[in-house]
Amino acid sequence: MFAAAMEQRPQLLTSAEAGDANSFAAFIEPLLDPAYRLAAVMLADRPSAEDAVQEASIKAWRKLRQLRGDLTSLRPWFLSIVANECRMARRQRWWSVMKLAEVPSSQQSQEPGRMTDLQSALLTLSPEERLPLVLHFYLDLPLDEIARTLRVSPAAAKSRIYRAAKRLRSELTLEELF
Amino acid sequence: MTNENFRREIGQVFDDMAGSPSGALRDRVRSSLSDAPAQKGPFWIAGIAAALLAAIAVGIVVVGNFPRDRMQPVGAPASSPTASPTPPGGSPTPESNLPAFVCAGGSAVGTSPAPAVAFIDAVRTGTHPGYDRLTIEFQNGPAGNVELQIQSGTKFTNSPRGDQVTLAGDNGILVTIRGADLHTSYRGSTDLKTGYATLVEVRQVQDFEGVVQLGLGVSGAACYRAFLLSGPDRLVIDVKAQ
Repeated sequence: MFAAAMEQRPQLLTSAEAGDANSFAAFIEPLLDPAYRLAAVMLADRPSAEDAVQEASIKAWRKLRQLRGDLTSLRPWFLSIVANECRMARRQRWWSVMKLAEVPSSQQSQEPGRMTDLQSALLTLSPEERLPLVLHFYLDLPLDEIARTLRVSPAAAKSRIYRAAKRLRSELTLEELF
Repeated sequence: MTNENFRREIGQVFDDMAGSPSGALRDRVRSSLSDAPAQKGPFWIAGIAAALLAAIAVGIVVVGNFPRDRMQPVGAPASSPTASPTPPGGSPTPESNLPAFVCAGGSAVGTSPAPAVAFIDAVRTGTHPGYDRLTIEFQNGPAGNVELQIQSGTKFTNSPRGDQVTLAGDNGILVTIRGADLHTSYRGSTDLKTGYATLVEVRQVQDFEGVVQLGLGVSGAACYRAFLLSGPDRLVIDVKAQ
């Protein structure tokens, strides 16, 4: 579905490359939702996630030449910029790190038992550990896109997903995950 | 638990964490992109590159001239790791630029940035009018932290074994170099008996876990001055003659 949407957009990319910001905004619009979800999980803070996506969009606009017109690379390219922006946001605002330890009480009370355990376990993971899980389990990206987003090899991406998932469910096997 | 169950559960947790983006996000992005400066082109990159090159050139000139005007290296740099006396003809550092001698307690010298572990590749000694000199040369950048401590007597603890070693002389100076090692690049002796009037012995008493300690045996009162020089990076310790 994403690929289909992208196939209809080469003219937007051409206009964006020519310097039209509105075309670029329209070009990346399908990516804003997954980008926001990635940022929200990495930062565990919704307003900060929107800020990060906004900032990442500006950076992507400035770096558009690096995309070199390759539409298949657009999503991992943009998501890697968003992930990097989340890292920057965490470094710049040290207090946001403190927020990661806080599990919203309303969510805890809504989900008793095992779900709360999983949620708590997720929040004990570092944002870097949560990132491959979000890409694989939440955004359903294919392994090669996950690898490009993480800027590692597919084998390394697979390993990161597995390691992080094992920290949540120790009984999981590699075969069950892929 | 199957992959599908796990995927469903974790997806639900992520959903709870993230929720949905506010309806204003698209407008915010669109608006910020309209206000953002256009993509930076090759001319901008060329300008930055030119400025950087100019800054590097100025830096090379400044760094190249600054220390040589003020301080001269002791003796010729060793072509291979050695522990040898400084040639008597070596040029001592001009006295006016050097720190004062310390005759009690201790002091520290340091620099940053420093490599994680500075590899000592040469230890040299030399004698000059008014002082004996110990030069410790680093292969890959200076150690970040060096402490010197004067002590009465010449007993030092050999670490990590814990036994005591007694050096020649009357008093001692313990030199502690953190973030360094004496075994990667250094192949010389770890116990130098100099035969000089003041600095009579230099002996390694620790080379363990990134900390190198050298015991200095001094004849008479132990007064020293210490400083770092670059090109090559080295720690210089002068022990004042009596």
